[in-house]
Amino acid sequence: MMFKKLLRTIRRYKAQFISMIIMVLLGVGVFVGFQGEWYSIDKDTDYFYDLTGFADCRIVSETGYSEEDLGKIKALYGVEKAALYISVNTNESRENDVVSVTVTNDPEVSGFMVTEGAEYDPEAKESFWMSDMYAAANEYKIGDKLSLKYGAYTIEGTIKGLIKSSEYLICTPGENQMMPDYKTYGYVYITPEMLKETLGDEFYTEIHVITDIDKETFSEAANKALEKTNMILGKDEIPSYSEAKGEATEGKTMASILPVVFLGIAILIMVTTMQRLTINEKTQIGTLKALGFRDSRITRHYAMFGLLIGVTGAVLGIGFGYFVAWFIFNPGGSMGTYFDLPSWKIHMPWWTFLIVAAVVAFMALISYLSVKKILKGNAAEALKPYTPKAMKRLKIEDTKGWRKLRFATKWNLRDLFRHKARSFMTLFGVFGCTVLLIASFLMMDSMVGFVNKFYYGSMNYETEILLDDSVKGEKALEIANAYSGDTLANSMVSLGGEAVALSVYDVTHDNIRFLDEDMNYAVLGDEGVYLGMRLVESNGLKVGDTFKVAVFGTDTTYEFKLAGVLRTLSKGVVMSAAYAEKAGVSTRVNAIYTDTSYDEVKSDERFKNEISSIKNRGDIIKSFDSFMEVMYLMIGALIAFSIILGIVVLYNLGVMSYFERYRELSTLKVVGFRDRRIGKLLIAQNMWLTVAGYILGVPAGIVITNVLTKALASEYEMKVILGWSTIVVPVILVFGVSLLVSLLIAKKNKKINMVEALKVPE
Amino acid sequence: MDTIRFEKVSKVYQVGDHEQKALDGVDLAIEGGKFVVILGPSGAGKSTLLNLLGGLDSPTSGKISIEGQDISKLSNDELADYRAKTVGFVFQSYNLIPTLTVFENVSLVKEITDNPLPTKDMLKDVGLLDHLDKFPSELSGGEQQRVSIARALAKNPKILLCDEPTGALDSETGAMVLKTLLAMARNYNKTIIIVTHNQNIAKMADEIIRVKSGRIREIIRQEKPLSVEEVDW
Repeated sequence: MMFKKLLRTIRRYKAQFISMIIMVLLGVGVFVGFQGEWYSIDKDTDYFYDLTGFADCRIVSETGYSEEDLGKIKALYGVEKAALYISVNTNESRENDVVSVTVTNDPEVSGFMVTEGAEYDPEAKESFWMSDMYAAANEYKIGDKLSLKYGAYTIEGTIKGLIKSSEYLICTPGENQMMPDYKTYGYVYITPEMLKETLGDEFYTEIHVITDIDKETFSEAANKALEKTNMILGKDEIPSYSEAKGEATEGKTMASILPVVFLGIAILIMVTTMQRLTINEKTQIGTLKALGFRDSRITRHYAMFGLLIGVTGAVLGIGFGYFVAWFIFNPGGSMGTYFDLPSWKIHMPWWTFLIVAAVVAFMALISYLSVKKILKGNAAEALKPYTPKAMKRLKIEDTKGWRKLRFATKWNLRDLFRHKARSFMTLFGVFGCTVLLIASFLMMDSMVGFVNKFYYGSMNYETEILLDDSVKGEKALEIANAYSGDTLANSMVSLGGEAVALSVYDVTHDNIRFLDEDMNYAVLGDEGVYLGMRLVESNGLKVGDTFKVAVFGTDTTYEFKLAGVLRTLSKGVVMSAAYAEKAGVSTRVNAIYTDTSYDEVKSDERFKNEISSIKNRGDIIKSFDSFMEVMYLMIGALIAFSIILGIVVLYNLGVMSYFERYRELSTLKVVGFRDRRIGKLLIAQNMWLTVAGYILGVPAGIVITNVLTKALASEYEMKVILGWSTIVVPVILVFGVSLLVSLLIAKKNKKINMVEALKVPE
Repeated sequence: MDTIRFEKVSKVYQVGDHEQKALDGVDLAIEGGKFVVILGPSGAGKSTLLNLLGGLDSPTSGKISIEGQDISKLSNDELADYRAKTVGFVFQSYNLIPTLTVFENVSLVKEITDNPLPTKDMLKDVGLLDHLDKFPSELSGGEQQRVSIARALAKNPKILLCDEPTGALDSETGAMVLKTLLAMARNYNKTIIIVTHNQNIAKMADEIIRVKSGRIREIIRQEKPLSVEEVDW
């Protein structure tokens, strides 16, 4: 019987029930979805790293390593596996794409998995195992011939298999390119035998190591074993690892702030709705008590409401959460163009379910406590209908201006204070919606602003020309002059144990610009070096300090003075050529940035042998667009959910407020107020709360974005930028949602049954 | 001239699967300036009669005219204007706005009428000038009903409709409220129609209309109605 009553009560309050279920669904869904996104990246990439033996440490030297060196490393304590490794960029003959040729002498270290075709055969010659993504983008099939050019060498063979390698999990040719473009860049693996046959000898520039030892301890042991200082990179310094894990960390940071705000709003609104619903049921609760039902039975019955809503919302929410996670993290979406992963399973941290279970339990508890409160007294008291608190004089009523206020203003003001909880929750709903929207748009504006400034301002060139390793000083300058280009001499140094790029720029044509902390373009002076914000932070430096960097493979160290702080994409030490000369830094130019078009440079025969590759800025920007798509997707989802949550919350509270004031509204109608006039009253109150919620929500949204930006500081050296979209769109959305909901509720005025108003309350 | 005229007025409510006839072909004429009491048992249709007259509800069939104007054909907004300007209501449960003070509850009508009576005069007439800034919850039942009367009359309506105006009050307070109501109505020359179970109130009326099962059973015109003091409460 009680179950029948439960079902009928649900039917009676179906609008509230549905809105509460939607709130739990959205709150739980967004929370679960965002947790699932970062956790799946973490788990699926880990699986791939393990499967293909992603190296924990890499010892790098341009002079190369021998089998003997490898033996020394393998003998070190804690080294599980090690392999000689080389990867060089070659030019593919058909499309003139850049294809990395990779060789490992142990396929279990920095190897690959075959997705189609023949398994790896270490004895095979004239055989390629090609990236399946590159093959698909360029219509290569198993059995096709492939010819690659590397300086004077030509590497030829047949494609034996299509593969994926975690070394190329994020398959980009350089640090300036954020997203892979499989049409123009890919990789192949060949066997050591084939390498030997091509070069006439085996030559490896790296030793890749799988070990549990931390990088510092390993570096010390490796340098000792090899009897020289080597450049040793931890996996955190490899983009295919650091960027993937960075994406997971970024997702985790986002997931720990915005969806939690989301869930918090849903729970708080739920609590209010649940309490109000119980109050509406007061006389029924009293009747059950008067009939002789025990308190425990009644509380159990009403706790079932909360439990039922909680369980239904949570189950649907978990399902929705999996969909959200999949929507962001799936091979067909933008994430699929970023990561080349073999497995796209959605994983969920176990504690997510624990939190969802706690939310459900909390909701049941709220129902329980609400009923318990009503049942406190005797049956007669419980039977009395609920009466809101008697109106008390407000302090502002003593002010001079009060008497001048119109009736509607007074009425609404007093109503707000009379129903404080409901008013607060409406305010909180608008506040939460504003916070989420402001934070979402501000994040988007900041990222777009930063990346735009970087790609369209800092990269003030048309074409990037990468020079062959063999090109020396004079020749490099000749090429730079020929194309009116600015030069970059890049090498790797160790700063505080971390391998970072040492970039010497000679900027004479304004083709390269630098962003200072205030996002203005800075000119490199010749009084010191410039560091990215992350390096300044991690090394505890400030402008004017001096610090040392060590050159890998030598005993050379340089002492630099920090002249300024920059916002950069990659971590590095930046200086002008003039300062480099002053500080005695020896450099070799390896890139030229010019306004000459890609086609012009490509068709120019003069420096054909000196230029290893040419990159069009447009292609780099294309990859930036793909990167932005991933972000738009996440932020777009958050914006959509915020709007839905806003509508549900405001509608739910609006309906609640409407029914609580039903008698008053009916009276106004009976007295002779027109529907539109009464509607205006309701809309006005909602608008006030919207204005207040918005005013409070804007700074809170900015604070949250700042917290988020700081939390993401290890990923981006971004500055919070207030763009037009943040100023214009959230205000339109918040007020639009509020007005829409107010109009929907005001429309109910037409259905007010005035005859009811004449009746004495039961 | 008849102020109020009902011609073959019926009102049918749909209750679940069956129809319930609240009024069944009522013909009625009430002269302006009179004090009319509608008597009848519960469910007789007297409140429906009042609701239709007050423009709170529309008849299923028939015609209701007030000073020649057919109100059964009015639009929603026209009905609202009719309620604002032509009729004043006094409810059994007072129906004051809890968030407005006594003064504000009465002056509220200025928002909707063109020719309201002064709020303070109304409150003086009902003896509540000392309670202007009090909220309804700070008043007794009788005081609340007097505010309700002041509000109804402040609109300066032609007709005052009262649904069990003393139903929630003890007899002494009820008598006092009635005295106020009648004194004010006569003072301002209003037609008063009271719906009640209370036979005593009927003794004071110019006209008594007895309703039963949705029909007018009897109309009694009293030549010498009693005053409030003459009625044995």
